[in-house]
Amino acid sequence: MGRYIARRLIYLLVVLFVVSAITFGLMHAVPGGPFDREKALPPEIIENLNKRYHLDEPLLMQYGRYLYDVFIPRISATPPQGSVDDDFLITVKLGNVWFKWMNFGPTYSSRSRTVNDIFRQQLPVSAQLGIMALLVAIIIGMPLGILAALKQNTIFDYLGMSVAIFGVSVPVIILGPLMIWIFGVTLKWFPPTGWGAKPPFVLGIFPRELGPEFFRYAIMPSVALGLGSSAIIARLTRASLLQTMREDYIRTARAKGLRESLVIVRHALKNSLIPVVTILGPLFAALVTGTFVTEVTFGIPGMGRYFVTSITNRDYPVIMGTILLYALILVIANLVVDIVYAYLDPRIRYD
Amino acid sequence: MRTKLFLLISVLVLAGLVLGACQPAAPTPEKIIQTVVVEGTPREVVVTATPAPAAAGPKVLRLNMGPGDIPTIDPALATDTSSVQIIEETSVGLTRQNEETAEVLPGMAESWDVVNNEDGTQTVTFKLVTGIPWVRWNGKEVEQVLDCEGNPRYVTAYDFEYGILRTLNPKTASDYAYVLAFAIKGAEDYNAGKTDDPTTVAVKALDEKTLEITFNEQAAYNVNIAGVWVAHAMPKWLIEGDDCTEARGDKWTETGFFQGYGPYTLKEWVHDSYITLVKNPFWPGLPSVPVAKIDEITWTMLDEVPAFAEYEAGNLDVAGVPLADIDRVKADPELSKQLVIGPVMCTYYYGFNTKAKFVDDVRVRRALSMAIDRQSLIDNVLKGGQEPAQWFSRPGLTGAPTPDKYPDLGVKFDPEKAKAELQSYLDEKGLKVSDLDITLMFNTSSGHQKIAEAIQQMWKEYLGLDVKLANQEWKVYLKTIRDPQATPQIFRLGWCQDYPDANNFLREVPTKGGSSNPADGGGFNWENPKFEELVVQAARETDPQKRVDLYAQAEQILVYEDAVMAPIYWYTRVTVTKPYVQRTFSVLGGLEHIEKWDITR
Amino acid sequence: MAQPVTLDARARDKDTLLTTKRESLWQDALRRLIRNRAAVIGGVIILILYLTAIFADKIAPYPYEKQTLVDQNKVPAWMLKVFPTMQPYAKISDKYLLGADYVGRDLFSRIVYGTRVSLTVALIGPLISLFIGVIYGSISGYFGGRLDNIMMRIVDVLYAFPGLLFIILLMAFFRSTFARPEPGTFTYTVSQLDARLGGMLFIFIGIGLTAWETMARLTRGQVLSMREKEFIEAARTIGATDLRIMFRHILPNIVGPLVVAETLAIPGYITTEAFLSFIGLGVNPPTPSWGSMISEGAQVIRTYPNQTIFPALALAITMFAFNFLGDGLRDALDPRLRGTQ
Repeated sequence: MGRYIARRLIYLLVVLFVVSAITFGLMHAVPGGPFDREKALPPEIIENLNKRYHLDEPLLMQYGRYLYDVFIPRISATPPQGSVDDDFLITVKLGNVWFKWMNFGPTYSSRSRTVNDIFRQQLPVSAQLGIMALLVAIIIGMPLGILAALKQNTIFDYLGMSVAIFGVSVPVIILGPLMIWIFGVTLKWFPPTGWGAKPPFVLGIFPRELGPEFFRYAIMPSVALGLGSSAIIARLTRASLLQTMREDYIRTARAKGLRESLVIVRHALKNSLIPVVTILGPLFAALVTGTFVTEVTFGIPGMGRYFVTSITNRDYPVIMGTILLYALILVIANLVVDIVYAYLDPRIRYD
Repeated sequence: MRTKLFLLISVLVLAGLVLGACQPAAPTPEKIIQTVVVEGTPREVVVTATPAPAAAGPKVLRLNMGPGDIPTIDPALATDTSSVQIIEETSVGLTRQNEETAEVLPGMAESWDVVNNEDGTQTVTFKLVTGIPWVRWNGKEVEQVLDCEGNPRYVTAYDFEYGILRTLNPKTASDYAYVLAFAIKGAEDYNAGKTDDPTTVAVKALDEKTLEITFNEQAAYNVNIAGVWVAHAMPKWLIEGDDCTEARGDKWTETGFFQGYGPYTLKEWVHDSYITLVKNPFWPGLPSVPVAKIDEITWTMLDEVPAFAEYEAGNLDVAGVPLADIDRVKADPELSKQLVIGPVMCTYYYGFNTKAKFVDDVRVRRALSMAIDRQSLIDNVLKGGQEPAQWFSRPGLTGAPTPDKYPDLGVKFDPEKAKAELQSYLDEKGLKVSDLDITLMFNTSSGHQKIAEAIQQMWKEYLGLDVKLANQEWKVYLKTIRDPQATPQIFRLGWCQDYPDANNFLREVPTKGGSSNPADGGGFNWENPKFEELVVQAARETDPQKRVDLYAQAEQILVYEDAVMAPIYWYTRVTVTKPYVQRTFSVLGGLEHIEKWDITR
Repeated sequence: MAQPVTLDARARDKDTLLTTKRESLWQDALRRLIRNRAAVIGGVIILILYLTAIFADKIAPYPYEKQTLVDQNKVPAWMLKVFPTMQPYAKISDKYLLGADYVGRDLFSRIVYGTRVSLTVALIGPLISLFIGVIYGSISGYFGGRLDNIMMRIVDVLYAFPGLLFIILLMAFFRSTFARPEPGTFTYTVSQLDARLGGMLFIFIGIGLTAWETMARLTRGQVLSMREKEFIEAARTIGATDLRIMFRHILPNIVGPLVVAETLAIPGYITTEAFLSFIGLGVNPPTPSWGSMISEGAQVIRTYPNQTIFPALALAITMFAFNFLGDGLRDALDPRLRGTQ
């Protein structure tokens, strides 16, 4: 197991490297630069800006500089400056020297901030929303799927699946404004927009206060976002449970005279979870790194907006940062999924 | 060539500022009368003619800034309205523009002396208001910033000198540095990196309250340039550090660190979420910048649609009305009373690439322009009470013609004439209308798309012409429409004032080398010596009426005789304000002076 | 674990009496599918939708781009009963079945024409991803070893990209590369094709290019398990070429699960198109797509709910249909198929 995980971590580095190379190439291939404005700037000013952000160097050198800043740790005698250029995600004091690692660079569109600032301040908000939405998805999706599978081809099956598909078919684009209108403006149950937690966050992720105020803000967007994913989970649960129920060992269990409820809970459910867990990896990565539509609709200060605006603004470090972050979370989530796999299905062994 | 162009532009920017001052004052919704008592230390500030009744709790104003984080609140780096809005509340320039009359008034400089030098330059010596302290929010209240000896730091001429030099420093990489670079003697070389020595820039603090700036030109607008936000005072000790302060670099503007001296100061900036300013109790009030009446201002950063929902839920005091909701708002007995439609100094237009196939003939361009039913577009699609644009420079700008004085100037909807123009072209070339392959391109956005779709339909209906629509993502689009090869036949653009003068429109956009007509091709691909001459002549003209006439002649060439653009509409701003907010309506492109607002419940 | 020999494998064995079993398997599947009422309804709806798309110009009462500006936002009288909030400001006109949009275009006609985009996405997206994914996956699975390893790692890397983000970058790249090329060149032809399709081509390519990885993985897994089967061994011993084995013997046997997986992925393609429309990278106007209608309508949801509810309803019905058909197909055809991975 240990060797397996080690090998996967090395593979993670390779993935990050390749992803960064492709993204870097692609984003520079798209025409238009970060300083193209409707009112064109004088060349001297553009030159200063390019120099400031090293955009005047050859592309390969820029890429090398980026990799160096992100991947190569530094040991330095000076403490972190707190400036835009000297902002490392990980800084540890070792005796009288400082260990600094992962400088994702400044953002061009927010002159006093860095990509690391976005990771520190926006990512946690998206992660909170994503985790809540994932919970909503599981809480709605799993029971629906189980119900539908156990009562296959009955009205429960159709109804359950209908509810699930409803979640996918009514996108957040509609659900969001509708919920804001009904529950936010008319009934005033929830605040129409905003988020109930702000930086700094506990352990870099969790809100400082997890009180009713936090949930008052979180409920509408979490439901709107989670509903879509609940359909995916419901469908997978249904399909997988149906299949498990046909396995020999279930038949054996039944033949042994075990109670049906025990058969389902003990044997069928656990085994049918495997494909559901598989999808949770990518789903987690997608939800946690932010979702553009939900965040824009509900005015949530998360990362989702940056995925889109970084591209439209040609904010190169943010594009690189967001994509690398997504890749990192996805690969790690998949690794966790694989480990959970091994636990759920004793037949799977990693060497 | 380009350098010269920009020199010209920036000089004219300033000319515009001055001319803007001549503009007749718009009716003021409320007058603020103030007596400012400043004693020794400006701690005791008792003001206002209308003593506000002791309100229960602080007065908090809730506004919306628009989606996305504010790019910066650092005066040296700001480029957009959101950033400048915050900067103008947290610090004050040497001079300050009145937001309703666009007049330029004394700001931090209470007076100045102007000396014309023999070498053609001009030296202006500013006398600063003294005793205004730097302040910061310490987590509980606004406090004065103390120096290393424990004395309050007051805003001095040295802070302004530092601010200007910081903006000009090429390492700062300030976008708007060019405004100063072209105006101040020696600034251009320093900003372009030709010299590393900041003392070559002719900005000098003679003592704490005297600042001397030498400008390249002998022009009255020099004092206006000195009031631009990139020339505000900046706290050197905080940015670069000193014996008792840690250097914060570009991050000095963050919550808890920021220092300012305006009527408000920064309380909290939660990025991407909201920004809160708190009243600065140490601000003594100046004739142009009174002491604030509202204790706190919070701007959320929401899209227009969710912001309007918040307004309806009672959580915002002022909001823009989304186009889609205008019908409902106008029908609503409450909301309709809170609705105000005000002019905005912007023009929406379609440009023609005069070298591209089919639209290289003026008759085709004129036909396309005349076949746009602008009023119908406004009534049915835009709905914001916009005005149909007959020409480019928006009425309300100094020097711009107005429809009541020039009812027949420019281009108007005229389907018969449009058809005749097109027919004469078709007959001459022996073409059928279906042979015309014309593409209209706009940058991707549902708003532009609606307009394009409506106009596409008008062309089809009135000319029988099928025009293709294409859209490109913004940055790609900007490259495309400035590329000599790729510029489409028809492209969408808008122009908003930098300063309220027709010169900003007619001189800086369509002339050769202007923003929509790049010198090396692309854009309009157009050059008309008569037009160029007219706008230069108008810029130099001192008689206001003659000036308008010259601009009117230039407009006639631009939109009719050569028809290089089809002006579509003049912008308006549709906002709703809660009845308890007493406010002013700014003409400075949405830049409000909130220290003059009040809340009365 | 004891893997039951698949019926397909036995079917290939000429010596057994099960030669006809393969036919009856399909028949059996069909019978089971028909018994599944939800799936049948789904299938019928999809059929109707495709017919609607083909005969859109016959069904729609108005051309989709026909604007009557004075009729903008008008609603039929019955709509006020459904949405009474519209009472104070709505203008009534019974000319339009579901009302008119912001420039006075018939909503119903646009929904009918919008079927074309959504269903083409539902057809071409899967085809592209099937095409690339199956070829890639079979090569990887069939030859195995080092090649397999490398090819799968490439898939892993591509998989690590956020799909939508990749599409956005690709679309920006395509749309600019093919912006205004010289006539006669390849890029010109492509851009003309895209323009002809209302900007759909690049959407298809974008979606297809990001969706094939799942398909490749699935194919590879299937091929791997098929490779060791007796009948493949048999084919190899009689000297069949790799290509022949792959296309004649393996592919027909794994096509079922692949088609099922694609059917289940279709709703995802349709929502992707809707998302792209929302961020402004969708089809070119005035070509209607449900996605663009929904995202435009969502802005007026409080004032004119009909402008977003009806396209959303059309989308929902389509999604229901594809989901039920997909589930039904899976249940009927391949009870062993696990998930999409």
